Amino acid sequence: MKVLHVDMSECKTHVEEVDEEFALKYIGGRGWGARLVWEHMKEGTDPLSPENIIVIAPGPLSGLYLPSSGKTSICSISPTTGIYGDSNIGGMFGVELRQAGFDAVVIKGKAPDLSYLWIDDDDIQLKSAGKYAGMGSIETEHQLREDIGDETVKVASIGPAGEKMVKMACITADWGRNAGRTGMGAILGSKNLKAIAIRGTRDLPVADLKRLTRLSDKAYKKLSQHNLFEFWQRQGLMSVIDYANTAGIIPTHNFKDTHFEEADKINGDVMELEYKIGDTACFGCPMACGNVNLVKDGKYAGTVIEGPEYETAAMFGSNVGVSDFSAILRANYLCDEYGIDTITAGSLISVMIEAYEKDLVTLEDLDGMALNWGDDESVMEMIRKIAFREGVGDTLAEGAYGVIERWPQLAPIISHVKGLDQSAYDARVAMTMALGYATSDIGAHHARAWPIAKELEMGGNWDLNEKADLVIYHQTVRPLFDMLGVCRLPWIELGFDENTYAEFFSAAVGIEFTLEELLKLSNDVYNLTRAINIRLGLTRDDDRPPERVFNDPIKTGPHAGKVLNRDEFREILDIYYQRRGWDVDGIPTDETLKASGLEDAIEYMEPKRKAE
Amino acid sequence: MRKKLTVIPERCSGCRVCELVCAISHAGVNNPKKANIRVISLYPHPVIKMPVVCDQCKKPQCRDACPADAIVVTDGVVTILEDRCISCHACVSACPIGAIFVHEDIETPFKCDLCGGNPKCVAACPKKAILYVPEHTLGQAHRLVSALQYANMQEVEYFEHGEKKKLRYAEIETGGTRGDSREH
Repeated sequence: MKVLHVDMSECKTHVEEVDEEFALKYIGGRGWGARLVWEHMKEGTDPLSPENIIVIAPGPLSGLYLPSSGKTSICSISPTTGIYGDSNIGGMFGVELRQAGFDAVVIKGKAPDLSYLWIDDDDIQLKSAGKYAGMGSIETEHQLREDIGDETVKVASIGPAGEKMVKMACITADWGRNAGRTGMGAILGSKNLKAIAIRGTRDLPVADLKRLTRLSDKAYKKLSQHNLFEFWQRQGLMSVIDYANTAGIIPTHNFKDTHFEEADKINGDVMELEYKIGDTACFGCPMACGNVNLVKDGKYAGTVIEGPEYETAAMFGSNVGVSDFSAILRANYLCDEYGIDTITAGSLISVMIEAYEKDLVTLEDLDGMALNWGDDESVMEMIRKIAFREGVGDTLAEGAYGVIERWPQLAPIISHVKGLDQSAYDARVAMTMALGYATSDIGAHHARAWPIAKELEMGGNWDLNEKADLVIYHQTVRPLFDMLGVCRLPWIELGFDENTYAEFFSAAVGIEFTLEELLKLSNDVYNLTRAINIRLGLTRDDDRPPERVFNDPIKTGPHAGKVLNRDEFREILDIYYQRRGWDVDGIPTDETLKASGLEDAIEYMEPKRKAE
Repeated sequence: MRKKLTVIPERCSGCRVCELVCAISHAGVNNPKKANIRVISLYPHPVIKMPVVCDQCKKPQCRDACPADAIVVTDGVVTILEDRCISCHACVSACPIGAIFVHEDIETPFKCDLCGGNPKCVAACPKKAILYVPEHTLGQAHRLVSALQYANMQEVEYFEHGEKKKLRYAEIETGGTRGDSREH
């Protein structure tokens, strides 16, 4: 297995072989990324400086014949949060990287001029990207393919926001797939790396292809027989709008409420019947959750976009009070083309609308543009201002921390953890969700834990121990998918047996692994990212859910009046630390680190303990 | 009864499962670039996804272009005879839909062989975008659309179990000619 190292400053690349011990200990994807970040990091390094590295790593299952094997992790120290950050991306990009012969790319330094990386199997070149400067992500991808002269080349790129190091900038691949969270696009921007184009033709290694084929033939068949399979293909994650609204967890008016009166104007049915023109799937995925939508008339006519999925529809729908689905599509398109994260952008725009409503900011602060709930045109203008760092957009481009620095009075109404804005699930209705956000290693994102549905469904009588255990289980199994390079949706949405992934992995590498063994390795990586974060100054105080969770009872809907209790949260955090083998300050104990094979982290934890 | 492979681009999600199962069963490796079928995905100018696979033409241009007489039609399957093939790629250029493929690891061009009458891509396609149908039914979908689009239809409304229903029909001698009365 090979890692491609790219030094942008020296304009040099070299290839390193990965030894088997490393490969199997960290599996791939997020595991490899976290370990490589750990080995290169230095305290005090600015995430946007040339010294920070960014790792792009598919997993050992990426590109193989098994359901939904198109995932790639992108890992670094995040400019949004200042701690470990990663975001995963679907599509085909990582598969092509593996077919070119690389299981990861590690990028450091800063090119003198805007460049792109061209990986044509083992022919690697850094080329000028001058002609793509300022170009949107979707257009960049289109143009690069055209210039290379091969429509099958896979491209990941940043838009103008990434070039301007907007801290919510994402990396876009395969037109509509985004590594959206934690500002990974800003890091590419800081390195003057506009895009990576790949063409790979190699066979992917599979130790026992017959066994894999047998397993996967069955797996695809099983998924296709699920009673929600076809519905999933039709609506994908857009079906979550109705669920979240009925369950009372949909973010509404900047997370003030959890129920949106006009949800039936922005749901999966509206999309399917009025806007959808086609399906899109990531590599090898039968579920095809992607929806290509087109606005056929009205002021946004001609807007075509892969998306939205649930998060985007909620953040640019209910959360900003917009009930016009074509406006959501437009917002989605602008975010993708400029290259910014729809969750953070939607969240911070809704914060500013509420701030203006409550006179917490002046019209002057907003460059003279009044912001009101449901005013879609001002939402579009705010997206543009963030992406190009204009006026108030320049402050929002710094993320939650930047907004709070300028307007400390907004801190109570920004729903974030560690500087990363919360995903589109309200945490007030479920302690597990609050704990999941609070202890997620990258900030308030649902990728690590999404226990909310289970708690709402059956958690009425759970004690805090059971709740903490569920969060830890989620934080162990969900990141495992990111390590393997596959999507978790067949498991979480269609009930696909997670044990099968251990069999897929065993067939791929030729060594038997059980799910328990893989989960242990995933837990080890969680301890590793915790160690990274502790090294970077994270403390117990940072492990807290958004303020609104404790201060601001839900006003309407099925959970009206609901708010979480601060003392109870303190209590569950103690339990959570204890069960993870972390001390009362949230620092992994020596025993825990040893058990995770992270002896080299011990020396870095000791000074932090003494400082307490 | 002879069957033909046909594709419905509107259904294709671009997942490339067809490429995977084809490459594994024919080339014996997990490499979609060695498949006898390829999904072309274009976006955003224009937006379309389409699996490209051999039509098994009855008068194949690839055969006519072959200088080595290495392409034959046997039982409705266009086959490249590897021992005769000189790998000049004339057939690759001649195929009007680009359904003959090459790869640097493989000596001669390769193409769909219908898996001996049980195409794996058809069974594997999660979107049912690749069909294996009796030859005489090709074009049926277009014929159906043509009939449905006939403009000179009458409509009656009626109630069944209290539910309002509509019936459309074409009445004798009420229309024009088919060609000038289709909806567009």
